[in-house]
Amino acid sequence: MNRLGTFLVAAAAVFAVAVPFFLKPFGIYLISMWAVLTIAAIGLNLTLGYAGQVSMAQGAFVGIGAYTVALLTQADVPYAAAFVAAGLFCFAVGWVLGYPALRVQHHYLAFVTLAFNTLVFLVLRNEEWLTNGIYGINSIARPAFFGWSTGKALDFYFFCLGALTVLSLATWWILRSPWGRAFVALRENPVRALSLGLDTRRYTLIAFAIGSSLAGLAGALYAPLVQYIEPNSFGLGMSFNLLLMVIVGGSGYFFGPFLGALVAVLLPEWMRITEGYYLIVYAMFVMVMMAFCPSGLLGLVERALKAVGRRTPSPILRSEGVGQ
Amino acid sequence: MASFIQLLVSGLATGAIYALIAVGFTLLWQTSQTINFAQGEFVMLPAFFILAAMNLGAPFWLATLIGLLLSIVVLGLLFKLIIVDPMLRYGVLPLVISTIALSLFLKEAAKDFYSSQAQPFPALVPATDLNVFGAVISLQSLAVLAIAVATVLALHFLLNKTRLGRCMQATAQNPTLARILGIPVERMVLYTFLINGVLVAIASILISPIYLAKFTNGETLGIAAFLAAIIGGFNQVRGAILGGVILGILDNLSAAYLSSQYRGAFPLIILIAVILLRPQGLLGRVEERTV
Amino acid sequence: MTPVLQVSNLRKSFGGITAVSDVSFEVRDGEILGIIGPNGSGKSTLFNCVLGQLTPSAGEVRVDGKPTTGMRPCDLNRLGVSRTFQLLQVFPQLSVRDNLILAGQEHQGSMYSRLIGAADAGLGAAADQMIEFFRLSHLSEEQAGMLSYGQQKLLDAAMAFMAGPRLVLLDEPAGGVNLTMLGHLRERLQAYHAERKATFVVIEHQMEFVMALCTRVLVLAEGRIIAEGAPQEIRRNPIVIEAYLGH
Repeated sequence: MNRLGTFLVAAAAVFAVAVPFFLKPFGIYLISMWAVLTIAAIGLNLTLGYAGQVSMAQGAFVGIGAYTVALLTQADVPYAAAFVAAGLFCFAVGWVLGYPALRVQHHYLAFVTLAFNTLVFLVLRNEEWLTNGIYGINSIARPAFFGWSTGKALDFYFFCLGALTVLSLATWWILRSPWGRAFVALRENPVRALSLGLDTRRYTLIAFAIGSSLAGLAGALYAPLVQYIEPNSFGLGMSFNLLLMVIVGGSGYFFGPFLGALVAVLLPEWMRITEGYYLIVYAMFVMVMMAFCPSGLLGLVERALKAVGRRTPSPILRSEGVGQ
Repeated sequence: MASFIQLLVSGLATGAIYALIAVGFTLLWQTSQTINFAQGEFVMLPAFFILAAMNLGAPFWLATLIGLLLSIVVLGLLFKLIIVDPMLRYGVLPLVISTIALSLFLKEAAKDFYSSQAQPFPALVPATDLNVFGAVISLQSLAVLAIAVATVLALHFLLNKTRLGRCMQATAQNPTLARILGIPVERMVLYTFLINGVLVAIASILISPIYLAKFTNGETLGIAAFLAAIIGGFNQVRGAILGGVILGILDNLSAAYLSSQYRGAFPLIILIAVILLRPQGLLGRVEERTV
Repeated sequence: MTPVLQVSNLRKSFGGITAVSDVSFEVRDGEILGIIGPNGSGKSTLFNCVLGQLTPSAGEVRVDGKPTTGMRPCDLNRLGVSRTFQLLQVFPQLSVRDNLILAGQEHQGSMYSRLIGAADAGLGAAADQMIEFFRLSHLSEEQAGMLSYGQQKLLDAAMAFMAGPRLVLLDEPAGGVNLTMLGHLRERLQAYHAERKATFVVIEHQMEFVMALCTRVLVLAEGRIIAEGAPQEIRRNPIVIEAYLGH
């Protein structure tokens, strides 16, 4: 990354650590939500921005992660184990779901994930013996690690921030590795990639499975954050929301999800004046953005930088996602 | 047995409506690579156009015409000009995202500008029942079937027996070649959008009396359209019809004989099964592998 | 001695049109086979069938005796078959060096080792060598999309060679390249061929290029082979001249 980029990221990191001390509990809750949703958005960014597949089930995977953790911790399984279980389970489900869907063309994954999301909702709602149905699961405990309890808002925020940092670094590592190069190849020129021995199907599937497992991990954090979960939260609404987050931030850009999640979390607050019309405005905003700058806000930034003549950073971090 | 026939008939009726929606969806995909994720909302909306017109004092028949016209102009023409055309140069993915955003927009618009409550919608025929071989069949089911079948036949006639229709088919199969042959490709594509506007309007009129006009209708209807199109074979209009009918029948039967709680699940399982076992759908052709 | 490539009775039809009909030929180890023919003779379709981009309607393809008909291009590549493309196919936003690393990385280790191991999959030195071989050193860190057309053609060939393939199929490597660069390209191809004893199959329009590079030439017209032999014979063959007249 160039110097400007590094400076901005460092500044943002400092801001992220310092700002909660100036916020009321609701504010801290919001930024915790931002951290959690960013993790899910990072996952979706891998699937959409790098592998070029639309997933409409990211919300369902968050739900699966949330319920996994809620149920396991209520059965006295230590949180750390439940956290890992959520991630692994979602990875496996993503793999099984993606395997047939990605063998064919025509964005079948989009439809399969659409169907899957609804299916998951139905299971969560109907299987009361397991999930408590529409009544949901409440009093989800916040974890404690080596004596440090995350019960209070501030503590839990730093826990989320820590998780976000670790998972971002892990994603950065993946993107830096030959896998990351393969993902870029997948998006830029799949025909050429195939002819070079790159199994595009396998890599797309991996991207989707990792993306889904990140959603599961986000869900594992979501459950103790809100402390009460019910099936309605994880329907198509959340999947759409996450999708729009990735798009608005800039799909295929490493920091896109961070920005998109910020917009998504803050927008309802800013738009309180419009009293609930914010979804319409949001949707319209996305449509307009797709028409003029499909590569999202970071795409706009990149265009501005190019216009000014600055050299833009490595493609792994900033490559074009949707719309070239 | 009698109730089975009842279910079959009402299933056929629902299936016929699904077929209309799926056909429109498939046509758009075939001719212009447009995957319209907002197709469900396109079916939800015309009912609201009609209700709004009636609120302004128009009699039902006039409101229906207005609704039809609005559907053609807004969901056909404007959709193409404002959303699809600017997007296509960026590729399929931005267009998919746009239609996803559009579906959200239309849904919220209906909720905010009309009502979040389900609205009763006038039926085309009185709600009487007929007695056929001991089975009680609602007149409405028969009327729906009749209209849907008539529409499909009309469409079939248009596409296969008229010069215009054949030009449209040519455009769908090979736009480059069609252009060379002098077919005004852009105009043909426009016609498919307009036709879709008609199809969704008819579907809306047929289904709203049963489901009531509700802003959330788009979700279920959209999924039904996609499922029907995929089950039948993504690139085949005939497949869309078959898919729609099968879906409608299975949907009704499963609701009656299996758990009604999982009513929505059965078609989804079929979808996953089709994708696993026969991804080209029941009638689709195996596509040449490009990657 | 098993031929490196064996094509038997290959046919490819698209609906009513037969692009390639009953084509059979062999490529021996170390050869440079040229395939020429007027436009529409089916050369590209033939190539795509051999390379798994298209599934043949009939016939068989064997590489080193192993049947490979209809195999996916990535699996074929793992068997040691590489290709270049007629229309440029580099990864425009990656650097030249990254393009080359990408071109070889799938042959290094396993999926798992590629995740855990070095960012360049251990190919940094090999990529630098390849860049030097093609005399692109001054462009190593440039985005591939910024290169000139001729330079991208060189990169394309370099990428095809990265994994040390047994058999390389070049699809119109000379197309659109200026004369100086053309000489350089041909010379580098010959050097690679001499050094690594690779086998080439080249589709080309430009006669001079084919005559200078290839050891044997096949002529395709309307989906069939109409002549075969040493470049000089083909040049004088009346059937070949006839096929080209009127184009």
